Amino acid sequence: MLYGLILNILLWFGMYLIVSLSLNMEYGYGGIPNFGKALSVLVGSVVAGGVVTRILMAVYGVKMGIGGLSTATSVVSNEMTTYIQHNPTLGLVLLVATLLLAIAIGAIVGAVFILPSARLREDYLAITLLAIAETVTMICYYDPAIIGSYYGVSVPDFLAFLQGNAKKLAFVGIVLLIALLTYLFFERLMNTPYGRILRAMKENEDVVRVYGRDIMKVRIMTMAVGSAVAAITGVLLSFYTLRVQANSFMITGRTLWTFYPFLIILLGGAGNNRGVTLGTLIFVTVMEIIDFYKTNIVSILHLPVEAVWLEYILFGVMMLLILYYKPEGLIPEKPILTKPIKKAYETRKPEIARIKE
Amino acid sequence: MPGMEVLTGALIYSNLLALLAVGLTLAYITTAVPNFAQGSFAVVGSYTALTVYRLFRIQPYVSLPLAFVMGGIVGLLSYLLVLKPLIRRGATIVTLMIATLALDLILLGLRGIYAGYLGKLTGSPCEMYMFTYLDFQIFGMPAILVISTLVIVVTFAVLFTLLYKTKFGIALRASMENPALAEIMGVNVEYTRMFAWFLSGALAAMAGCLLPFKQEIVPATAEIIIVSIFAASIVGGLNNIYGALVGGYIVGMSESLVTYWLSTVFGAGMLVYGKVVALAIIIVTLLVAPQGIAGVEWRLVAKKLQKRGAKEV
Repeated sequence: MLYGLILNILLWFGMYLIVSLSLNMEYGYGGIPNFGKALSVLVGSVVAGGVVTRILMAVYGVKMGIGGLSTATSVVSNEMTTYIQHNPTLGLVLLVATLLLAIAIGAIVGAVFILPSARLREDYLAITLLAIAETVTMICYYDPAIIGSYYGVSVPDFLAFLQGNAKKLAFVGIVLLIALLTYLFFERLMNTPYGRILRAMKENEDVVRVYGRDIMKVRIMTMAVGSAVAAITGVLLSFYTLRVQANSFMITGRTLWTFYPFLIILLGGAGNNRGVTLGTLIFVTVMEIIDFYKTNIVSILHLPVEAVWLEYILFGVMMLLILYYKPEGLIPEKPILTKPIKKAYETRKPEIARIKE
Repeated sequence: MPGMEVLTGALIYSNLLALLAVGLTLAYITTAVPNFAQGSFAVVGSYTALTVYRLFRIQPYVSLPLAFVMGGIVGLLSYLLVLKPLIRRGATIVTLMIATLALDLILLGLRGIYAGYLGKLTGSPCEMYMFTYLDFQIFGMPAILVISTLVIVVTFAVLFTLLYKTKFGIALRASMENPALAEIMGVNVEYTRMFAWFLSGALAAMAGCLLPFKQEIVPATAEIIIVSIFAASIVGGLNNIYGALVGGYIVGMSESLVTYWLSTVFGAGMLVYGKVVALAIIIVTLLVAPQGIAGVEWRLVAKKLQKRGAKEV
């Protein structure tokens, strides 16, 4: 029981860390209020469920019959899964190929996503990003031609050669490995001149402009990278459930993949990756413990309802409390210490101390 | 040509959208925060009407005043408990926007719990419902068309009198245009904000009370409608109350009629793309006239066009 809980915490820690780190680059470093973060996760799921499965259908020559996309993908996924049972390399190739495709498409979607609003002020920007994400989610929900709408599509099991416990362990291992790579990637990227421009842009756009940088270009690039990375979680999500269903994104999409990442970032501390990692761990642990005990919680409180509604209220209130009492998060953002600044700090230490007094 | 039914449907939808957009704009003008929970304010009205109907079998139209009060209370509490403390702490716009997202989530959770309780109490599920079967005819027209139009007319008549004919209205407009200056002149900006949020919630809840006559209420209703509300407010100009009225009709009409037209050309599959029209309107407005229709200096545009015309001659 406890073993299962810990494994779940690790799994969702990895999934959420990838999305939160990418949002942290966009919002924590760059100050772009991406209220449409869920879109990039959806893109990853669409690539796994709608694009890769179609490619496989073409390869295997599976035609769409009366059952539509839903049936056709389940036929091709079953076939692929049987192959993978005897041929583990094929499974890993499938995973890597899907991830690369999702990263590429995610980057394109992210860049296009911000185009109409790249010049706007932050409130208009947030509204537009949210509106685009909600609209795309709705189209995926209503139009069965994309990912099978309500009926959903099946995705092949790339770990079909493993069974039971070993399979879950391997999956969690892969998710954590990708999350670690994502962390290292963002740590490096934010220590480049580009990362520093990003932080400067959050503080004062005019200053960045004065130094000859195009705000629009920086925003487009940031959203491309952020969406590409978040699409990874969309792919992993599909391979975990082996199904992609648009209705799971319909109500919960914005909550799970926009609101919760924002909560994580503000809890841990915007603008620094260590804080976000801590925030992810705390958030996911709370969420999984609620999930673990949810039947008990509902019966103790004598509620005729699902625990998910309580979870929404709890996390909503938690967000408000953080915004009010600790808007800088558990680990606040620190100034960038490049070598010259470090030197200046050290030589002027007495002066700085005096100013602080 | 679209039939009468499509036109009346579009008109009803536009009426409701205008009500919702006016509420959003009122809150934006006074507190400078786009309220992402506006859709949930509407759902408060829908559930007020449902509760009264299920428990006492009272026609939902009768619940309009009650919905007004309930929505107003929710709006006022949202401001006092969520936004005011943050504004006092000098929170940024983004922080306030995130706070309204959190508010929306809390209201979604409360809605779920309430729907569960109401369902248990009345013995029938309350997750999805419509009132269309309760509607009747007035002078050969569906009552929802007459009543939603009446609500809009009365709302604007009252709003106009209040803003332009009373002393309170002058204070209100002053604090909307320049809060700091109004405060110096002895206007209590706090009151105007509380008033705006009360009205914002109240108008949204009235729209929500009428919404089930037009479309089904589902758990995601607030999420579905928020795109159209923002579209209506933005196209009219987020800074102008009358812009919201105009925007409501532009977005409501085009969302219904453009999709109808597309469906006659490309087949019924296009009907699901209604929200794309609203989104397209947002994007085009932001690219062409970010201040919205009310923000455009029409005299200058006319002059420019005249000049161009003169040159061509």
